Amino acid sequence: MSYWISILTEACIFSIMAQGVNVIWGWAGDFDLALYGYVALGVYLTIAMTAGPALSPEEYILGWHLPYLVAVVLSVLIVLPIAALVGAVALRNLREIYFAITTLGVISVIYVIVQVDTPLFNGFNGIAGLVTPMAGPLGISYNGYKYFLLGFCAVVLLAVVLVMQRLSTSPYGRAMRSIRDDERAAAAFGRGIFRAKLVAYVIGAGLAALGGSLFAAYLGAFNPSAWAPQEILTLYAAVLVGGRGNVRGVVAGTFIVYIGFIELTRYLPNIASRPEFAPSLREVLIGLLIVLMLKFRPQGLFPDRHGLPRSPGGTGPLARALAGIGRGQRSEPEKSAAA
Amino acid sequence: MTAEAILEVRGLNKSFGGVKAVDDCSFGVPAGSVLGLIGPNGAGKSTTIDMVSGFGRPDSGSVRFEGTELVRQPPHRISRLGLIRTFQSPREWGSLTVLDNVMLGMRAFARESIPRNLFARRAVRRAEAADRVRVEEILHEFNLAALRHERAETLSGGQKRLVEFARVAAAQPRLVILDEPMGGVNPVLGERMSEAIKGFVTAGSTVVIVEHNMKFIEETCDDVVVMDLGHVIAQGPYSSLRDDERVVTAYLGSVDE
Repeated sequence: MSYWISILTEACIFSIMAQGVNVIWGWAGDFDLALYGYVALGVYLTIAMTAGPALSPEEYILGWHLPYLVAVVLSVLIVLPIAALVGAVALRNLREIYFAITTLGVISVIYVIVQVDTPLFNGFNGIAGLVTPMAGPLGISYNGYKYFLLGFCAVVLLAVVLVMQRLSTSPYGRAMRSIRDDERAAAAFGRGIFRAKLVAYVIGAGLAALGGSLFAAYLGAFNPSAWAPQEILTLYAAVLVGGRGNVRGVVAGTFIVYIGFIELTRYLPNIASRPEFAPSLREVLIGLLIVLMLKFRPQGLFPDRHGLPRSPGGTGPLARALAGIGRGQRSEPEKSAAA
Repeated sequence: MTAEAILEVRGLNKSFGGVKAVDDCSFGVPAGSVLGLIGPNGAGKSTTIDMVSGFGRPDSGSVRFEGTELVRQPPHRISRLGLIRTFQSPREWGSLTVLDNVMLGMRAFARESIPRNLFARRAVRRAEAADRVRVEEILHEFNLAALRHERAETLSGGQKRLVEFARVAAAQPRLVILDEPMGGVNPVLGERMSEAIKGFVTAGSTVVIVEHNMKFIEETCDDVVVMDLGHVIAQGPYSSLRDDERVVTAYLGSVDE
């Protein structure tokens, strides 16, 4: 039971991060690889703002005793300008693979700095000390806390989905998809591409940081061996499986991918001399899943149906999903690299 | 002509490496007219309209649109001034429906703001519904009504051209530049395009057409600008240019050499 509570909590948190990927890649069309860096910054900042001063030989910045929710808001607010700076540079002229490589460079830099620059977040040993935030003031017992945290994460996810769903179905969502489909045509019809992409990038990074802040409450501690730049691939797999651009589909995709993989790899034999076997296999499987989805069903299990009328009665999302399997339609956005 | 020109291109230059793509190009577009921009491949037509519409930056020269300098302005700002361009391929927004493609042509930018879509949903919906009436008219006009809920990427080449034209009609531009609108279009559809262009003029637009189909140019355009080797070699009614030696030479290649 407790196992499922923690898996569901993680799935809610990852769903929020996946919404970030969905804005940046699903709507704006930019294949960002730096997003997990914003997640990590969210985790680090939240812990550093709530866990109190570092005790020697630990070292980290801030070291405040802020209430958890204040730290969440501040963490997100700090990540936004960082993402805006990265976006302002990377989105000006770079697209597609050039943009992806640039953002890969960004997250590599973040990762190395966090690992090597000890005074920042205690370097390789990482930081700890965020224990059951909000439990004290709310009078929640230690045993009940995991249920509370699941509920809290679910409520935040719900709020995020409601907001994103509103944007998705709105004229804003329509304009963003026009930019994704053909940005030259979108510019010719008056849409400011750079600004729109930058705003989407900052929103996506903010969602990543928000997910990171919740992750901080769940983990309590964080260090460079707890994350790596390639974690982003799980989020891309989730968005692909769910349906790129489809807000609710992405939540479904995250739950399917996350819980599916955990369950699939849980029963693997533990090889004593090769403890890294199971986690590595998981990464291989996620890579395989991405390739298979791109090949056979690039639009995902629940394709984005922006602007399409509801299909006539009796065909739920599952039926539609099954009906579309194998058709594999896919739109290739035209190349528009550095002009 | 200068007084009534809606668009004035003066001394435009653009080099790519050692190649002078556009060389001191100057011409004017009289308001309310249909102007053909013709010339052999490599004459600099596409580069010129890219620079006019903000998709390319000239090395020197000036482009004035209703008195506003366009050089160094980004494409979306030029578009918002009322100058819309199309591209050689229809460039439909493939994942969006035909209806949404044309709705985007209405260019209701204020309605696309994030706060408005979160906090003023009702006002947005009302405004959308009002635009929808006009868009439905346009869809009928271009025979697209039955396709309104189809994703644009599933359409045929000709249908995509119609969507492109419907988008322009929705935008009601002051000036529209059509880049090879007849590319991949059959003769029957061609007639409809001619009609549509006349419709644009009636609705108050000025039209510039870049095209290789001379019959279409002859039938549609009031005036023709002929470009070769990056500059304008002739401007006037098509009939007066048909026998112009420079024009013939440019088009047929240097037969004398």
